[in-house]
Amino acid sequence: MTAISTDGKPAADRQAEKKWRRRSLAALAILLPLTLAETSYDSVREWLHGEDLVARDVDFGRSAPFGGSDWRLADLRGGKAGRLPDRAFAVIATFSVTIGDPDLQRLWLGCKLMLTDATGRRWLPDFISGVSLPDGVMNCTSAIFSGAKKGDVITIGDTFIVPEDAIKTIRPAVGLGSERPWYLRFQRPPK
Amino acid sequence: MFETARSRVQTWITAGAGSIAALFVAGLMGAFGALPAHAPPQLPLDVAVDAGRWRIKPIRAYVSHADVHGVPLKPGQKALVLEADLTNRTAQSDKAYFNVFRPEGLAVPEGPPMIALTRDSTLTPELHPGMTERMAYVWPLAGDAKIPAAIGFVVTAEIFKPRDNLYGAPGWFNPYRLGTVTLPVADVGTGS
Amino acid sequence: MRTRAIGNLLILVATVALSYGMQVSKPHYADLTAPIPVGGAMHDMVRARSFGVRLDKVVFARALKTSQFGRTKLLTTSGLWAVVTTSLTATSASATVADGTWQGPAGLRYRQTERLGYRQDMPPHAVDPGLERRGLFVFEVPADQIGGATLLVAARQFAPLDAQARISLDASLGDDGQPAEVLPQYDLDAPPGKT
Repeated sequence: MTAISTDGKPAADRQAEKKWRRRSLAALAILLPLTLAETSYDSVREWLHGEDLVARDVDFGRSAPFGGSDWRLADLRGGKAGRLPDRAFAVIATFSVTIGDPDLQRLWLGCKLMLTDATGRRWLPDFISGVSLPDGVMNCTSAIFSGAKKGDVITIGDTFIVPEDAIKTIRPAVGLGSERPWYLRFQRPPK
Repeated sequence: MFETARSRVQTWITAGAGSIAALFVAGLMGAFGALPAHAPPQLPLDVAVDAGRWRIKPIRAYVSHADVHGVPLKPGQKALVLEADLTNRTAQSDKAYFNVFRPEGLAVPEGPPMIALTRDSTLTPELHPGMTERMAYVWPLAGDAKIPAAIGFVVTAEIFKPRDNLYGAPGWFNPYRLGTVTLPVADVGTGS
Repeated sequence: MRTRAIGNLLILVATVALSYGMQVSKPHYADLTAPIPVGGAMHDMVRARSFGVRLDKVVFARALKTSQFGRTKLLTTSGLWAVVTTSLTATSASATVADGTWQGPAGLRYRQTERLGYRQDMPPHAVDPGLERRGLFVFEVPADQIGGATLLVAARQFAPLDAQARISLDASLGDDGQPAEVLPQYDLDAPPGKT
């Protein structure tokens, strides 16, 4: 088919056409990856905003601004309490939080308290029958709806079940919807 | 001159072929559409009938004035109940049985009925491949609704497509009216 | 002129043949988006992406005893109840394991029962790394779907391209192809180890 249309054309025209074809081919090499990047941009952004990927380390006793408020590790204690599986410990981590921006329902959406260990494993809060949080300590979800005002200092905490082999290296961490992919990771209290 | 005339005719034919074919098909479809439609058949009551994903066998229909198979009724309401044996004909657990039966000539609420497993009054559980279970379809009715002595239930079935037109995924599509089952309706008073 | 026409015709035929070949050999959408199977045997810990599962025991029963809202319920079935006891753990982060399916020898898929309501030992199972917990999966299956069956366990019911553990069940069958031992009744609330 193409042979029919190019037959009898001046040589200069054919040269020009050839040149443009080459340029188009080269353009593909740039445009295709660009299209791919453009179409996947939203998915990538959404994924990054849903994952706790990059740790921001905080020394013990220090507080760090996170999600509009100042977070400080108040206490980390572990032991045998309540109904636990074999070779497992109950751990309670509490944070003292000074509220800055009180719009917690937006800033703290998807709030997650976690424990991480030296090998990178992560534990989410668990219910342990027989173990309850100390008085005045609430979990993250109830804190969001507690109506805390600017300047209030609230204590947030949760209970975890952690295996024996991880208990020596666990560090508490906090992830918030408005800060992901960054999350706060706290140094353990000195022995 | 001769050459151009010939090629012009060729162009006309080529360009017009699609339109001619479309006109022809449309005319044919119109002609078939004008034929009297087949009335959906009466389905037998004594044997199980294949209706798309389900093999169905209606057992009995009745009117209940009290809660039936765990389905609560509002005060002053009564309910039309159809009990039927359902067998899942597909290869996986499924609960798409909401639109299989629908009573004709009665003012029943829009939307699917309440459906309970008669075995233990579980509401709308999944039914598993090849396992026949008796299900109760419950349509709440106004307390003063007139109930005829026999009610026809429209049976709707679907067809299986190994590849659908959008994703090429297997599934059940195109619900159609398979037929009607007509059952006498007993009034069982307050009990069930 | 003649050879060109023949040539064009050949190209057309070749194109049609190639397109048809591509169409019929195209993988099914359901296969393209299917979970990624991780095989294993009973009593082995099968490691999926986010969790590990070990099939410890399968018990068959004609009826299930359970208490719901303080009332004892006896659940019957037109087939058999299969109560599968597993040990579950998480790989690197706390996770949930929510989907269990009993796959018969011919590929029929029996999803876990919906008739039991909420129970602590029923899915979704919350699992933690480094810790093992007991988790039940309960199915209703016809007796002829037990020999050669496979237990499929996944984190979620619709999880395209996520791992799915597939554990071959070797239930001991009698001569009639039915399971060798069928309890008349299984009490879900009896302490584990005793039935």
